[in-house]
Amino acid sequence: MQQPLQTATLDNGIILLGEYLPGVESVSVSFHLPSGGICDSLLAQRTGRSCCGLATLTGELMLRGAGNRDSRQLVADLDNTGVQWSQAVSMSHGSFAGAMVARQLPAALPIYADILRRPTLAADQFEPAQQVVLQNLAGTEDEPAHRTLLALRKAHSPSPWGLPSEGISADVEQLTVSDAEAFAAEFVQPHGLIISAAGRIDWPAFVAQIEQLFGDWQGHSLPPVSSGPRGPRVLHVPYDSQQTHIGLAWSVPPYRDPESLKVTAALAVLGGGSSSRLFSEVREKRGLCYSVSAGYQTHRDLANAIAYSGTTAERAQETLDVMLAEIDRLPGTITDDELERVKARAKSGLVMQQESTAARAGAMARQWYHLGRIRTLAEDLERLDQLTVADIEAWLAANPPADLTVVSLGRDPLEVPDAVSA
Amino acid sequence: MQFRHERLPNGLDVIAEVSEAAHSASLGFFVKTGARDETDAISGVSHFLEHMVFKGTDQLSAAEINLRFDAMGASANAFTSEEDTVYYAAVLPEKQHDAVALLAAMMRPALRTEDFDTEKQVILEEIRMYDDQPPFGADDRCRAAYFGTHPLARSVLGTVESIEALPVEAMREYHQRRYAPGNLVLAASGAVDFDALVKSGRQLCGDWEPQPITNRKAASPPAPLPAATMELIPRQQAALEYAVRMSAGPAEDGADRFAAKLLAVVLGDDSGSRLYWDLVDSGDAEHAACQHHDFIDAGVFVTQLSCEADDTSSLLERIVGLYTDASRGLTTAEVDQARNKLLSRVVLAGERPRQRLFTIGLEWAHLGRHRSVADDLATLDGLCRDDLHGVLTRWPLTETAATVLAGPLTDAR
Repeated sequence: MQQPLQTATLDNGIILLGEYLPGVESVSVSFHLPSGGICDSLLAQRTGRSCCGLATLTGELMLRGAGNRDSRQLVADLDNTGVQWSQAVSMSHGSFAGAMVARQLPAALPIYADILRRPTLAADQFEPAQQVVLQNLAGTEDEPAHRTLLALRKAHSPSPWGLPSEGISADVEQLTVSDAEAFAAEFVQPHGLIISAAGRIDWPAFVAQIEQLFGDWQGHSLPPVSSGPRGPRVLHVPYDSQQTHIGLAWSVPPYRDPESLKVTAALAVLGGGSSSRLFSEVREKRGLCYSVSAGYQTHRDLANAIAYSGTTAERAQETLDVMLAEIDRLPGTITDDELERVKARAKSGLVMQQESTAARAGAMARQWYHLGRIRTLAEDLERLDQLTVADIEAWLAANPPADLTVVSLGRDPLEVPDAVSA
Repeated sequence: MQFRHERLPNGLDVIAEVSEAAHSASLGFFVKTGARDETDAISGVSHFLEHMVFKGTDQLSAAEINLRFDAMGASANAFTSEEDTVYYAAVLPEKQHDAVALLAAMMRPALRTEDFDTEKQVILEEIRMYDDQPPFGADDRCRAAYFGTHPLARSVLGTVESIEALPVEAMREYHQRRYAPGNLVLAASGAVDFDALVKSGRQLCGDWEPQPITNRKAASPPAPLPAATMELIPRQQAALEYAVRMSAGPAEDGADRFAAKLLAVVLGDDSGSRLYWDLVDSGDAEHAACQHHDFIDAGVFVTQLSCEADDTSSLLERIVGLYTDASRGLTTAEVDQARNKLLSRVVLAGERPRQRLFTIGLEWAHLGRHRSVADDLATLDGLCRDDLHGVLTRWPLTETAATVLAGPLTDAR
């Protein structure tokens, strides 16, 4: 099942990715600028002033007026063009995306060109934008599961990779409009920009229009990020709640490492589906919790395995003990049936991705960022088919889960065995 | 896309929206039962039963159900609401029969006492989880305040007390009564083989015993609130205050249904709406939105607000002020913008079999009819500004409302 994938590179370094998906009327396009949360740290390294949240604030500001459009006109134009638009900032990218009926794409692209190339960054919009970011940060204070995972990432990752891309209130409060201008001038630029489109796309027309809208945009390369120390291996965050939340992390190879498929398969056996080890041992057999899972979070050069559960304070210790025991038991015990189920789920997921133009556009951009290429559906399926239990076990034998970081959030701290924190 | 329907002799409806372009098939059983069909003594039983359905049958253990879904690569889950309990699986087309067979078997669960006791702990964890996170139960309390003695006042999760006190026999009796074939719909969307689906339905569900069908509509509509109500749920540790406000809106079988949806987009969509520009864009609120929720015999406009605790009263007043402004007239431009947004949403959702499954399944379970994507687009296209003004006149959002606040406030001035 060969998919018609297309790629092109403009002279200024912009990468274009496209996939024609038969049977859909829509097209989704996403723009991934190199202006992610990590740029906050690049700037801080130079100025000596922490500005965590500037990437997010700048992203918010960029939608508040661009080119000749003021804030309201910009939103009205996107809505009236029938664009389901979104904006997000991760550690690696500042992203703008839109899904629409395919015939609207030529009308939508000039609006995105304004947002990316000609954001007004109007002074009178700065304070409301800053308030929006601060309100969102206050809102996340009330989400214990989210807070636990943020604290886990901060404790486990080398600085600055553990910082929250959504920002830190104390930093955001200090920011000014000139910080946003400086950030946009340096990081909102074409070098490293990935533009990805999937759906009912006319590729030559798309490339020509992007060339016309973005071809004369000049950028520059960015310096590498230097990594610093990590946080504590065991951390308890006191919080007045009925449930205690538990987060575990250990380091694994990033997505671009050839070994990563073995890692993600092993993590899926551990906590990926309702027949996974964690779900059946923690929830199904013991009824200890409502949610428990394990997953994989990757940057380009480092990645974490993550396990999470939330449970009543009285049963949190048992939950932690069972989770640790299951992680410990994983190497040497994976069965063929377990791997077959992981493959079946992964295969379904890959095929169903072809039904969502938005999901497909995002996935292609991520793959390019990590690998510098995109794989066809057939290639992805073949890689899965070739994976064996012996491959995974050989990797796990050499790299068993070790040096876990354990974070809890709730009423009481938990006892963490020395073997884990050593 | 082609719509198909067949009713089996025992009353089970089988429906499908078949799309040859789709890569997957989504399949589900829609059970016409939810919190509104409960009594005080069994509050939360619909949702608890939804969990128990995954605990196995006389032939299958819970572990085997999980193994089989994962082995077919299914994305399977379930949800319970005030009016529905829905079990579904999205699979590749070649797994259609396997998925239907497993879901059908699950509709006749063993309801073993030892599973019931273990799963009760999971339900209690779920109640505590929601109690710890926004809006800290304000949605449940507001529905109770607004609906009063109407069955829609009931909580889906129930309470710690009602779940702890629930005996397994009561669940078995409820299951026998509510999971009868005439009370279920087997629905499918995407790359579906409809003839095979009907055959599977006959083979797997044909011997289910019919039961008398009860009228689910309440004897009378929710009584109008005599006066506005305001309740507080103190949560000292919360960073923000969370408000939920409900006022009357049209039911799902009413002529105003689509106009009400469009009106809610004009007034309180996540972006580009009146509430958005006034409260969220300004940074005065973390979130402010208005939605229209419709049920088989009632409807509500639900306003949600989260903000700094001290700003709550003034922002709620500002919202009512915005509703008053709206009742004086909407602009053609804002109605058209909202319509363009909704049209685009309908088209894009139409490409996802899973989203279509919920839309067509619930429409059939509630109203016994099918609406295609084209039907929805035509209805939206046919709405004019005066239709929305009509909704504002018949269902004024400024009327008496029930409001519940959860957060640091201890006194609602």
